[in-house]
Amino acid sequence: MRRIPLHLALLGWTLVTGFPLLWAAISALKTDREILTSPWSLPESPQWTNFARAWTEADIGRYFLNSVLVVGGALGLTMLLGALAAYALARYPFRGNRFVYYLFVASMFFPTFLALVPLFFTVQQLGLLGTHLGLILVYTAFATPFTIFFLHAFFRGLPSAVAEAAFLDGCSHAGVFFRIMLPMARPGLISVAIFNFLGLWNQYLLPLVLNPDPDNYVLAQGLAALSTSQGYRGDWSGLFAGLTIAMLPVLAAYVVFQRQIQAGATAGALR
Amino acid sequence: MRRRGLGFVACALLPALLLHVVFVLSPYAQAFYLSLTDWNGVAGQARFVGLDNFRQLGSDPLFLAAVRNNLVLLLTLPLGTIALGLFLATALKFGSRGGRSGVRGARFYSIVFFFPQLLSVAIVAVLWGFAYNPNSGLINGGLRALGLDGLARSWLAEPGLALFAVLAVLIWSGVGFYLVLFSAAMDAIPREFYEAALLDGAGQWTTFRRITLPLLWDNVQVAFVYLGMAALDGFALVQIMTVGPGGPDGATEVIGLSLYRNAFTFSRFGYAAAMGVALFFGTLVFAVLALRAGRRERVELA
Amino acid sequence: MTRTNISRRDLLRAAAVLGMSAPLLGACVTGGGPGAGPGQRGERSAGNPFGVKAGSPLEVVVFKGGYGDDYVKAAEEVYRRQHQGSAIEHRGIQQVGDTLRPRFVANTPPDVVDNTGAGALDISALAAAGQLTNLAELLDAPSWDDPNVTVRNTLLPGVVEDGERDGVCVHLNYTFTVWGLWYSKSLFDRQGWTYPATWEAMLALCAEIKKTGIAPWTYQGKYPDYVTDPLLTMAAKSGGMDLIRALDNLEPGAWRHEAVRGAAEAFAELAGRGYFMPGSEALSHTEAQAAWCQGKAAFIPSGSWLESEQRDVTPPGFEMTLGVLPARTTADKLKPTALEASSTESYLVPAQAKNIAGGLDFLRMLFSRNACREFARTAGTLPSVAGATDGLTLSSGLGSVSAAVRAAGTELISFRHRGWYPQLRKATDDAVGELITRRLTPAAFADRLQLAADALAKDSSVKKYTRR
Repeated sequence: MRRIPLHLALLGWTLVTGFPLLWAAISALKTDREILTSPWSLPESPQWTNFARAWTEADIGRYFLNSVLVVGGALGLTMLLGALAAYALARYPFRGNRFVYYLFVASMFFPTFLALVPLFFTVQQLGLLGTHLGLILVYTAFATPFTIFFLHAFFRGLPSAVAEAAFLDGCSHAGVFFRIMLPMARPGLISVAIFNFLGLWNQYLLPLVLNPDPDNYVLAQGLAALSTSQGYRGDWSGLFAGLTIAMLPVLAAYVVFQRQIQAGATAGALR
Repeated sequence: MRRRGLGFVACALLPALLLHVVFVLSPYAQAFYLSLTDWNGVAGQARFVGLDNFRQLGSDPLFLAAVRNNLVLLLTLPLGTIALGLFLATALKFGSRGGRSGVRGARFYSIVFFFPQLLSVAIVAVLWGFAYNPNSGLINGGLRALGLDGLARSWLAEPGLALFAVLAVLIWSGVGFYLVLFSAAMDAIPREFYEAALLDGAGQWTTFRRITLPLLWDNVQVAFVYLGMAALDGFALVQIMTVGPGGPDGATEVIGLSLYRNAFTFSRFGYAAAMGVALFFGTLVFAVLALRAGRRERVELA
Repeated sequence: MTRTNISRRDLLRAAAVLGMSAPLLGACVTGGGPGAGPGQRGERSAGNPFGVKAGSPLEVVVFKGGYGDDYVKAAEEVYRRQHQGSAIEHRGIQQVGDTLRPRFVANTPPDVVDNTGAGALDISALAAAGQLTNLAELLDAPSWDDPNVTVRNTLLPGVVEDGERDGVCVHLNYTFTVWGLWYSKSLFDRQGWTYPATWEAMLALCAEIKKTGIAPWTYQGKYPDYVTDPLLTMAAKSGGMDLIRALDNLEPGAWRHEAVRGAAEAFAELAGRGYFMPGSEALSHTEAQAAWCQGKAAFIPSGSWLESEQRDVTPPGFEMTLGVLPARTTADKLKPTALEASSTESYLVPAQAKNIAGGLDFLRMLFSRNACREFARTAGTLPSVAGATDGLTLSSGLGSVSAAVRAAGTELISFRHRGWYPQLRKATDDAVGELITRRLTPAAFADRLQLAADALAKDSSVKKYTRR
């Protein structure tokens, strides 16, 4: 009997987390009038055209592809550069090794806001303001410190025997890294990739400041602009449809890979 | 390594280092210089004004409101999120058969609880902006459907409520992550500890206080630092969701928003940089205090 | 999907980043080298008053927002015909400031800029840095349509003043925006309501409206500046030009003037009598305007852009109409027809442009009657050239705006301090939000803003402007 309040509490929190998402998805199928007059009702007849309108007219499709491109590019670059740097720092003693390591790691604890103003002008002076490439490079720069921090420990913990043998067989340094160490570090790479993906996919502040051209908006930015901008013609159902489009793929992927994602996302904090 | 391989090290390190220096270190360093100037972003040169910007911070009512609000969040967000996360994690893990095993459906719960973590903060803000709408929103709609019209409020437009409406969303979106974090840490606690406690006849609260919490203390401390940094931010939610934004009348102003507005609306880049520097020192002080306080706690509990 | 791929130029930039970052690191963000210098002039003639050099190219960068940029392209056609052999580079963009800031810093700006939109450049800062051409030469040149009338004399009142910084006209605004109270004429006709001419009549009408179950007013509570405009307009109508000047010049006691307090009391009374639609204080502009379009509220304050903003959601037969703010007292210093109006969509010619003469001549054509009519037709809003819409068939909203401007004559109200001192603007809007939710009394409202204005007046780090 004592379990009942506990279950109620758990069910309560399930409602609190799940219901707003469900509500958004249901609202995406309503007409504007239904949304404005009866927030809790079900749609009289599902308005699937809301999704088509959001995808094309409200540019959600373009924002989505922009996000995929920017986050994909940044994630790939972050993993490559981060893994290389972490490996070099973890397994090659050289003068200044510790210094370079702390140079990377220290910035994890600085608030992004401190860098915001000069970063804006740096990106602008390089002619990269409002370009996907600029965002990719900045995302990468801001994601590598954690990647290095995480993978540094991982590479340190890997056994040296296989690498030694490979060197004896005449394998190059790069060859050892790509063919031997990188595959051995796979679990760590996956964890940090998931962590980075969530962080980059959900990034709002950096694109808000560095990506001012509406054609290049990423998803988070595009949705925020749609909901707050002047001159936007009050298309609520389209906006809810856009929200749903933005949420669904991530949630669906999560339900499939939830164990890895939960482990990956919390990997950093658990260490 | 037997071979020196310095050429490889250089090739491996330089690209990351280059990006880091250009887009991370140099902006941070420049921020300190800019904070001592009156630069407006267009005029050819910046005038050195010493500490004037910092002096002005002290008499800028919006900035002071922002500091106050960030401090309120700093006191409430970590506590609320950690308490709720610990409660839910414990309930999931020990909620069944006299505290010996996980509650039924634990997997399902932890999946759903994690959902908000997957959403961009911008999406969360847009979603909750609609949920808080006084006339067609989810919350007031629900209250009215239950006949509780008297409880319906203009959540984001009442100064006494607005910041807590923002806080609720911050907690809502953060709990899932810390719940999973704490669950994973609890999995690492040996079963025998709990079985011994049960044999001693310890109640659930005692078990939690005497075994779970001390063994989770490192994680709680990490969570506290992370959440504290989140509490010193809050920009995206406030900027998208609140009246003004930052209102009503500064009730939800946060330092990040003040900085953003001064830089990109008022063209006071030097002054905005000073806010960034102030925020940096605030974060630093918080992190040092949190880590030191945590260490003392741990000694007491050990 | 116009630009989802990384272009070749982006890749070249990346190469530049990777290759030259060492010297760039040393470059301070505030750097900027000497520019090429202002453009050369050719021979002047009656048809070429500024001496545009034959064959000199012209670069036009315009804000492409809700009004589009077709009207600019139409003017560019005229320019091409007039200056044969001149190539025109046209760019329609959204974030003007972000795009052009580096070009100003590097002294290579375009020849004509439409500096508009949320991300526009700070014109005052540009002017103070000597980056803008004095447009006096353009204003005194013969207008495109009639050589006997100067450009200056074709403009609506206040347009030249709107473009002045320290007494020098550095930009000309293309659209003429007016503010007022909007209502649905068909609804009012159906209900037998007449638009009130005095505040007393307004209060009486509100009581009557409320009885029908319709909220008398709603407003865009998430952005309280929508209410600041009518409030200050009401104050200006009773306080007259002297009060407007006093507020703009941060004179001591200006905010405690009886007219300001009276206007604050009037709006507080609307709130006190429950004439605002419940929940308005938390609604965004789209939400409040949608409620108004659905007939849930009778009045909403907004500017003349409202009609085109609401085009897709306005029910047929709504007859959106702009009314001037009712006079609060019988002793008002300005006529009841006085209207808050100001020009926006700022066109300027950078001082470091390569083709200043071309830029000026292009503006002469852009401010011609034909270009303006094209603008009124396609953008659905009023251009800042007098009589530009004469003879056109106008929509209900634009027609009421046009009629209101004609009725107002020279009594056009505009507040400069809101553009000059964005911090005071923010403080005002915050206070207005508090006033109309009755958390701030009218007296405390006046006191608070007086303190804010006094503090600003004393702050030597903020550049001050004066209105004559």
